[in-house]
Amino acid sequence: MRSLYFGILTAICWVLAGTYSETSWRTVRPCIPEIGRRDIEPTLGQGVLLGILGGMRTVIADGTWVRSYVLWERKDRPGCETLMRTACALDPRSRYFWENTGYVMGYDMAHWEVRRRGGYAKVPADVQEHLYRSYARRALEVLDQGVVNTGGNAALLIAAGQLAEMKLKDQLLSARYYRSATESRNAPWYAPYFCARNLWEAGQREESYRWYRKIWEEKLSKSEDGAPDDLKNLREMEQALHLPIIQRIPRPAWEK
Amino acid sequence: MKAFMQRTTWITWVTFLEAIRQRFFAFLIVLGGAMVLSSVAFRFMDFGHGELKFVADFGFGGMFLFGSVLGVVMTAQLFFSEIDNRTALTLLAKPVSRAEFLLGKFFGTWLVLAIFVFVLSGLLGAVLWSRSIELNELAEKMGRLAPEFSPGGLVAFALLQWLRLGVVIAIVLTIASGARTFLYAVVVGALAVVAGQLQWIAQDVLLKPEGSVWYRGVLWVTSRLLPNLEQFNIGDALVLDPTSVPANAVVQVAISGLIYMVAFLMLGTALFRRREI
Repeated sequence: MRSLYFGILTAICWVLAGTYSETSWRTVRPCIPEIGRRDIEPTLGQGVLLGILGGMRTVIADGTWVRSYVLWERKDRPGCETLMRTACALDPRSRYFWENTGYVMGYDMAHWEVRRRGGYAKVPADVQEHLYRSYARRALEVLDQGVVNTGGNAALLIAAGQLAEMKLKDQLLSARYYRSATESRNAPWYAPYFCARNLWEAGQREESYRWYRKIWEEKLSKSEDGAPDDLKNLREMEQALHLPIIQRIPRPAWEK
Repeated sequence: MKAFMQRTTWITWVTFLEAIRQRFFAFLIVLGGAMVLSSVAFRFMDFGHGELKFVADFGFGGMFLFGSVLGVVMTAQLFFSEIDNRTALTLLAKPVSRAEFLLGKFFGTWLVLAIFVFVLSGLLGAVLWSRSIELNELAEKMGRLAPEFSPGGLVAFALLQWLRLGVVIAIVLTIASGARTFLYAVVVGALAVVAGQLQWIAQDVLLKPEGSVWYRGVLWVTSRLLPNLEQFNIGDALVLDPTSVPANAVVQVAISGLIYMVAFLMLGTALFRRREI
């Protein structure tokens, strides 16, 4: 009888432990860098189990990154991509890994593929273009993940905007990234201009002017020097749009 | 109750003395200490993290890895040495219950691991503190944001790691109570620790409404049987970004660990009672 009570008590304790562990896990989950199941699968067998299990995540992510460079030099696309993604998964809050994985995937890997298929002279131009675009899209997926994991890092948004503009030739998408970069913390000074320029070149000229002007009036003009270069760009836009004087930005005292 | 406590304390003390004299313990504590101290020299391998994060991660890794090895191997070794040398037989022939014997083993080993965790945490704290002073001065000169280091967070993390190792010891003792050989206890114990470390995957899936009822049922049982050891690894947040940790997180994780410890020790006692020595 005593054993029965003891067994029941043990079982109760067990269920209580499991249930309470769920509550405590919900509380601490946001403090632990996210590694999803799908991120883990390609990393198994890469010697990074220890990093997934617990401590030394940063150290192992760094080691994995060094190993990925060896494969980058050999132009081993699958190996390099797996290791770079592994480094990102192990230390998802590091901007460096996301940014450089995006760059390598978006700018280098398509060229490796072209060379693997016989070189630039042999591979038709439309196939080359298709490769550049498909790798750029994959790189953008990586950068998007990085943006989510780093809490909207401006450098990653700029890298994504650049990639969308140069490789996908999608200026509206590029403008979207630059706009997000402008709205993020530590936005670089050139992000609003790049956004406006892409919108302008994509044919959305009024929208581009309106947005750029709003940013200048609300944010840039309040900077120490009043952002004269941006004002100059806006004046050029006003002229191109043939805006009447009354609708233009009032002239500040310091403007030449 | 008083006699129960006295006998348990006595076995705890004997186990502690036996464990602390082991060369294996001395070797791992020296190795862990060397790893923490040498972390500063490996800074050049770092890519774009804060320096303190890199150093802290090195220390946490040492504590996790060597602590787990010590928790699994030393516990099994201390338990089976009593069985193999027949001292357990002599001891249990006296008015000492099997529960007291198991609890004594548990607390003795846990005390040794307290020394391990707090010595390494002390060393890590000293390294982080000295580096944070230098980095703060540098940041002030360059007009940058100074990195944050919370000594209180390190103490909280050390306590959590000690609790995690307590759960590991309890798991290994439970396995050893039913196991026939030392090797079996070590291998299964190590696998259980790895499984516990990956248990959060099951809990994460359970938190999202996806998968069939059967699949979710299996995950529910798995997440009840195994403790979630990953929840103890919040060192980065506690030490370097304490504001990001919810106020009750440490207490909740500690309570969860304590309940698992009790659950495993109760199961271990039940198994040990049925065991023939």
